[in-house]
Amino acid sequence: MRVFLAILACKLLRFVGKLVGKGSSLPGKYALKICPDILKRVELPAHIIAVTGSNGKTSTVEMIAAILRAEGKRVVYNEEGSNQIEGVTTLVLNNATFGGKVKADVLLIESDERYAARSFKFFHPTHFVITNLYRDQMTRNGHPESVYDAILPAIHPETELLLNADDPLTSCFAKGQEKVKWFGLDKCSISVSEPTGVYHDGAHCPVCGAAMDYAYVHYNHIGAYLCPKCGHGKHQTDYTATAVDLENGTLTLDGAYTISLAFRSIYNVYNILAAYAVCRECGIDGSIAQQVISNYVLKNGRMQTFRLGGHHGTLLTSKHENSIAYDTNLRYIASTKTECTVLLIVDAVSRKYFTSETSWLWDIDFEQLNADHVKRIVLSGQYCADLAQRFSFTQIPQEKWEVIPEIPAAAESIKAAGNEEVYVVTCFSDRDKLLALTEKEG
Amino acid sequence: MELNLLHFYPDLMSLYGSYANLSVLARTLETMGNTVTITYVEPGDEADILGADFLFMGAGTEKRQKFALADFVRHGDEVKKAAQDGTPMLFCGTAMELLGKTILDESEKEYSGIGLGDFTAKQQVRRIVEDVYGHTKLFDAPMVGFINKSSILTGVETPLLTSMNLGFGNEAEGGAEGFLYQNVIGSHLTGPILAKNPRLLETVIAAIYAKRGAQCPEIPKDQWAEQGYAVTARELKARCK
Ligand SMILES: [Zn+2]
Repeated sequence: MRVFLAILACKLLRFVGKLVGKGSSLPGKYALKICPDILKRVELPAHIIAVTGSNGKTSTVEMIAAILRAEGKRVVYNEEGSNQIEGVTTLVLNNATFGGKVKADVLLIESDERYAARSFKFFHPTHFVITNLYRDQMTRNGHPESVYDAILPAIHPETELLLNADDPLTSCFAKGQEKVKWFGLDKCSISVSEPTGVYHDGAHCPVCGAAMDYAYVHYNHIGAYLCPKCGHGKHQTDYTATAVDLENGTLTLDGAYTISLAFRSIYNVYNILAAYAVCRECGIDGSIAQQVISNYVLKNGRMQTFRLGGHHGTLLTSKHENSIAYDTNLRYIASTKTECTVLLIVDAVSRKYFTSETSWLWDIDFEQLNADHVKRIVLSGQYCADLAQRFSFTQIPQEKWEVIPEIPAAAESIKAAGNEEVYVVTCFSDRDKLLALTEKEG
Repeated sequence: MELNLLHFYPDLMSLYGSYANLSVLARTLETMGNTVTITYVEPGDEADILGADFLFMGAGTEKRQKFALADFVRHGDEVKKAAQDGTPMLFCGTAMELLGKTILDESEKEYSGIGLGDFTAKQQVRRIVEDVYGHTKLFDAPMVGFINKSSILTGVETPLLTSMNLGFGNEAEGGAEGFLYQNVIGSHLTGPILAKNPRLLETVIAAIYAKRGAQCPEIPKDQWAEQGYAVTARELKARCK
């Protein structure tokens, strides 16, 4: 009876919530109050796929759903991305019959790394994809190893793990786990010989602390590592990106499936690889994945284009406190080679705290903007002085960057002259402050 | 002057942009006409601790802190001697805990620190995460920053911050924070606290000159550091009850 009531309450609240435009975690919250172990009592689909990690969760989940649906699977997943236990409960109950049977072949969950253990207390995924773990929102998460410790109890012995073999910390989840499959990227056109970036979290072995050796890296400390002391190293991969050409936008999976990349970033490569790997584990043919993912444009794409006076502009959104994601945006700007102005905005830092915390600026490799085609850099927002202080420690010539604290004034100054490309890098909370000042393209 | 700064475990202990403390310190000292050498000390390396003008270690994860400690104890006696002699030092976040008597990890396993201070760090699973606005006896200006730690420190008799309007200190909300002994500064304030607090940077520079027995000239002010500090102090003060 409580199961029925919980499902009823959840469906009703979800219906009302949709009418008034409310979020998706509230119905689940009430359902959990009525029946705290409701997730144990419902009949879940045969396949339960969860995805977690510091970066790429949302994109990976979206592509997994697209591939599975192309194969005719009924996939239930939360496209709004609320991924704590309340959101998962809403999702499950809303797609269940009143008898408690979830009407789907696959339940797909984007799991918040900090709360995965809570979500998976009453059921466990059949497949658990962990994309990567690195410095991310440290005001909330602490540091990558504390995130690792938070995910660990969420892993059930019967769950099959799909791990990024190229990430030294993520690879540690395999310890003591029976069912593990690995995905990774072979040495390819983008590989370099030494770790890149301002800091080197991969310099020491996460298991024993010894200095780590690298055969190659793809970005930051993600690549082929081997600890000479304890032997912790890149595992042989089951699903492999065998070739990547970011300039021409192609990716080859397992030497057999070549994919055209709609977005030519190394992130996209890893997200595709993770989605491909788990879909293959669920019995999907590689060629189906290839057809769906080739030229796939993400709905949650973090690039938006606009016009600002005579300029064509691109907004690159990244979580502010995630230096590796930020570095990736800067690398993209550096790779464009067309004359441009770059506008960097740091106005709000964290959504949860007020906060004055700008230490993450020191973890970002701004040196990447020290390129001939980057003609002008404008620093703006409430924390522009912190940004300027950080910039004063780069080799970028001082005459190239300037500080315009007010965002409208910064936009106006760029709009006033020229027609070069404009790239704006900022976070979710600040991007509308800029977009409101621009015109839609087309 | 020719100044030698030691940076312990630059990769192992590098959380939260800690390295920026050395960047701002070295650049300011250079602007003042000094020649500055930064020597990196990795596990297993020898280090001329008694000949150094400044010792620095950044914050690390709780696990990496133990890796650092395993090596740092070799240097313990020399670090204590240098501290007693007035050598300025900065130990950020979990690095500060190495200076104490003991560290207890979350499973109650005990590790011995170098014992410069008579305090104990007890690590817990739950992290303490807060904005910080506090006060030190070193100067009048408030200290600003952020705290993100897992430890409760007991037994610190000479803290860096004597009180806080915002933030959780060594063992209490609003209580004393960090460690101060002669010219040794330890703090759980996140990351680049010298970059964020220009007055603390000046204190360290004055101590470096004093240790050399030299007259400290006027310390140049960095306009961005001053402006950044002013914004943060203003915003945090507005949030104080
Ligand atoms: Zn090792």
